[in-house]
Amino acid sequence: MELLPDLKLHHPRSVEDAVSLHAAASSGRYLAGGSDLLVNIRRGIEQPESLVYLNNIAEMQAITEATGQISIGGAVTLRELAESAPVRQHFAAVAQAAGEVAGPSHREYGTLGGNLCLDTRCVFYNQSEWWRSANAYCLKNRGEICHVAPGGKKCFAAFSGDVAPALLLFDAEVELAGPDGRRRLALADLYRNDGMDHLTLGQGELLVAVHMAKPSEAVHSAYAKSRVRGSIDFPLAGVAVRIAVSDGKISDLQVGLTGVSPLPFLVRKLDKFIGRAADDACLEELRDAVRGQAKAMKTTFTPPHYRRRVAGALAQKLAASFF
Amino acid sequence: MNEMTPVQSVGVAKPLVDGPEKTTGKAMFAADFQAAETLVGRILRSPVAHANITAMDTSKAEALPGVHAVVTEADCSDTYGVLPIAMNEWALARGRVRYRGEPVAAVAAVDVATAQRALDLIEVTYEELPAYFSAEEARAEGAVLLHDDKPGNIERDAEFDLGDVDKDMAEADLVREIEVKCSEVCQVQMEPHATFAEYDGARERLTIRPSTQVPFYVHKMLARTMGMAEGHIRVIKPHIGGGFGSRTETLQSDLIAGLLARKARATVKVVLSREETFITHRGRPESHITMKVGMKSDGTITAVDFTVQQRGGAYSGYGIVTILYAGSMIYGLYNISSARFQGLRVLTNTPPCGAFRGHGTVKTRFAFEGLIDDMARELGLDPFAVRRANLLAAPTMTENDLLVNSYGLDQCLDWVEKASDWQARKGKLPANKGMGMACSHYISGASKPKHWTGEPHATIHLRVDWDASITLLTGAAEIGQGSSTVMAQCVAETLGVDMSRINVVSSDSALTPKDNGSYSSRVTYMVGNASIDAAQNLKARLIEAAARKLEIATDDVECLGEVYRGGQQDQGLTFDEVVMEALAGEGTITVKGTFDTIPESWGGRKYRGAAIGGTMAFSYAAQVVEVTVDPYTAEITVDKVWVAHDCGKALNPLAVEGQVQGSVWMGMGQAMSEETGFHEGLPLAANMLDYRVPTIIESPPIEVGIIEAADPHGPFGAKEAGEGSLSGFLPALTNAVADAMGVRACELPLTPDRLLELLEKKARDGGANSDRGAA
Repeated sequence: MELLPDLKLHHPRSVEDAVSLHAAASSGRYLAGGSDLLVNIRRGIEQPESLVYLNNIAEMQAITEATGQISIGGAVTLRELAESAPVRQHFAAVAQAAGEVAGPSHREYGTLGGNLCLDTRCVFYNQSEWWRSANAYCLKNRGEICHVAPGGKKCFAAFSGDVAPALLLFDAEVELAGPDGRRRLALADLYRNDGMDHLTLGQGELLVAVHMAKPSEAVHSAYAKSRVRGSIDFPLAGVAVRIAVSDGKISDLQVGLTGVSPLPFLVRKLDKFIGRAADDACLEELRDAVRGQAKAMKTTFTPPHYRRRVAGALAQKLAASFF
Repeated sequence: MNEMTPVQSVGVAKPLVDGPEKTTGKAMFAADFQAAETLVGRILRSPVAHANITAMDTSKAEALPGVHAVVTEADCSDTYGVLPIAMNEWALARGRVRYRGEPVAAVAAVDVATAQRALDLIEVTYEELPAYFSAEEARAEGAVLLHDDKPGNIERDAEFDLGDVDKDMAEADLVREIEVKCSEVCQVQMEPHATFAEYDGARERLTIRPSTQVPFYVHKMLARTMGMAEGHIRVIKPHIGGGFGSRTETLQSDLIAGLLARKARATVKVVLSREETFITHRGRPESHITMKVGMKSDGTITAVDFTVQQRGGAYSGYGIVTILYAGSMIYGLYNISSARFQGLRVLTNTPPCGAFRGHGTVKTRFAFEGLIDDMARELGLDPFAVRRANLLAAPTMTENDLLVNSYGLDQCLDWVEKASDWQARKGKLPANKGMGMACSHYISGASKPKHWTGEPHATIHLRVDWDASITLLTGAAEIGQGSSTVMAQCVAETLGVDMSRINVVSSDSALTPKDNGSYSSRVTYMVGNASIDAAQNLKARLIEAAARKLEIATDDVECLGEVYRGGQQDQGLTFDEVVMEALAGEGTITVKGTFDTIPESWGGRKYRGAAIGGTMAFSYAAQVVEVTVDPYTAEITVDKVWVAHDCGKALNPLAVEGQVQGSVWMGMGQAMSEETGFHEGLPLAANMLDYRVPTIIESPPIEVGIIEAADPHGPFGAKEAGEGSLSGFLPALTNAVADAMGVRACELPLTPDRLLELLEKKARDGGANSDRGAA
């Protein structure tokens, strides 16, 4: 690991202070667990002058329930999220996804907000300064070409947060705070399909909390992640499934994907499965439908062919587990 | 007093003697040393894979305030390399770079930031040459030569043709072939490379602490590279965070630290990043193997015909030895007479490979054990039966003249068969579960040293002074494997004293006798024997002293370790009293013990390089692996491993168990998830996220059976314990997957993507796998 440059570290106690400190810095970044950002800083990908630490802000550290609603602070750790009783009860996929992030020590530091705002990843990008320099850098950082798809002008760096696809199943909203105050946004609208600039956050905005409505009791959900090792690794493909079955027929179905494109997203055109019996043929169709939309590119050491196929296979496996 | 017996130290589970320092964090590793005004050493590495260096200007870096030294090839007196016949590397590239990341210059500066700025100010002009990242490209006609004296970019073509392969193959009832491809793997020892170098400008002396397995070789190469008298260099080995072969030769960072310290006339510390440690490499080469085996219907092997091609990287390193091991070690495990081998070690524009645990033997073993498993299935034989049909009977010499003096493979097979309940469970597991087995072996040290000097293989000094403690001085490098503990046990056992009397001083060239270092599993066997010899010499001196004091004949002295006496009724003398008597009139006692190999163990002369494989003793191992495969994702879970290892005598059963488990585990990484990879010569996985060493989650229960087929020359019968169980895991795993899913994996690591391809291919082919052999 390379040298961490000199920088200022701020410890605000309120969201408003955090936003002001960020605004006052010539180049600042919000810091939560740091497991993504600090590695990028050490690798010379970015060199902020100030870091604004978010994990001492009480408002951002709470999980609160109201009737039919839940709010989860952006600084809630992934370990807390994975262990939270109401989250496990109503949003099983979210708790499972949080529990699948990296390894236990990362989850002790890493936060919900950090996982949702994770930088996109690519094997040509997550390398040392020497490495990237020797490779003429890349579109996403200081370079002119994309090594994944040479000739193209689009960056395919993959979003690799585990929790987002699970939250998308429940139409989660994110609460943001910035110099112009607070706003709410559908989580899906936090992302755009551009590996270079995948977050729609405004200048100086931070993620304060996530809000969701509890689904009906008939709804089940689960998350599964493909990776070579059972710990540490980012998802080669991450799949969240929400499903409800009544009278042997599918009455509700959503599939969220991560790790296979620059943004997490819900698989489209699943309406055709509503009302169908959940038999083997149906599950194989679901697998193929998911596979068709999981257009992984060569952004990881593991070849994209596998990531596309395993995304479908995991959706099939998860769905099958509910019958 | 009558009940007194010598203290037993051998065969007893002992914690490692350097455990307390390590578990409390007090142990000093190379990067932990920090003198006042220690300069930071940093290395400028080539951004290109193959190029002539047409110009280099370091003047701006030298002029930068805070920079104390800039070194280049001009500061190097000579090449270096681990094999005397293949020293073709420069500590800093001279005239040409041959892989991305090769060191071209280095700086010593007051801090990291200044050192980094200085590197950025060094101007190097490269004239690029065609670069070859695969063995095939490098061998292609018309390819530019990496080294002018290596035509065809071949480091070494090795071959032998023993017995009558064609005749014996024709007499087989079944002949089958296999083709396997194994990715390159890296050791990924816990501690990145680091060197702490102090230069005494007034006396022109260098004191250096390198993270190495071979302080003696580093010493020699420092003298050669720096043009210094060997006697003006002191090499002190600090604590070492593992090696597994990555430090079995001198590394550039060791030499660069010395060069910088001398030029700066100061103290310099060079600590490599994990990425630089990966680039330094010296791991196991990517290999392509074809193998044909002939078998009788009862499982008897009639002949083996095989080829091995290794992508060796840009420099010679250990290459010649690695390719020779890949051939010679087909022998020594089973009773094979006829074998033909063609090996090619190819030079490519990738980081140089080296000697990785199980040196040279692993991928050949993978091909062989997979192939005979399939042949067994085809012949309707149990995998155990096929192995048992081919056992050796010790003592014997193999067809390529390797000495097999002790042989516990039969007992290893019995143990794992019983422990895994193989006969009752094999073939009866639920869907997607399977069991596989395989065998392996390894040498207990190479019987011919690389640097032949006529000296004994191992020398130990024991010093006893007025405090009655015993100082064991050894050049053998304790690198975490427990060598210091084993030596202390051997000495304590021989003397019958408590181990707490013994202090081990390991690897300080100013104090300890020369030793070749910790590699090829030589230390327990060779240095253990030297330790016993030294202890016997000391014991003779103490018996003489006791006899003098007790006024009896030496033959009448009964040595009970902590007490020496003349008879059962004699109160006797305590060890301290005997020592006092021994020192009287003579002062501090220093005795020596040595060990040498016997000529019968030196390997053969039937072909060029036939000495490679020659050893005093082979360890043997068998293992059974049980797996579950996820049919959706093709992820493999290793549920359990049973492994039996014949180490002759478990001097320290605790350490043996740890070494065997570690070997299995390391084999598991190579079999399932670990591989390097390159993008035009840039390492794609030079970090611990993308280079996938297994985590504790992947680690299965590993049940170890210790088999003790005592070796007649081994220390208390012992042989090696740290490598032999590695290579068997790879084929045992793929044999288990074949059992579970009916597909034969021929490419490693067997990552989920590779297995899914095999499963999908099988499904496409209508369930009948077209890959030869699998059920």
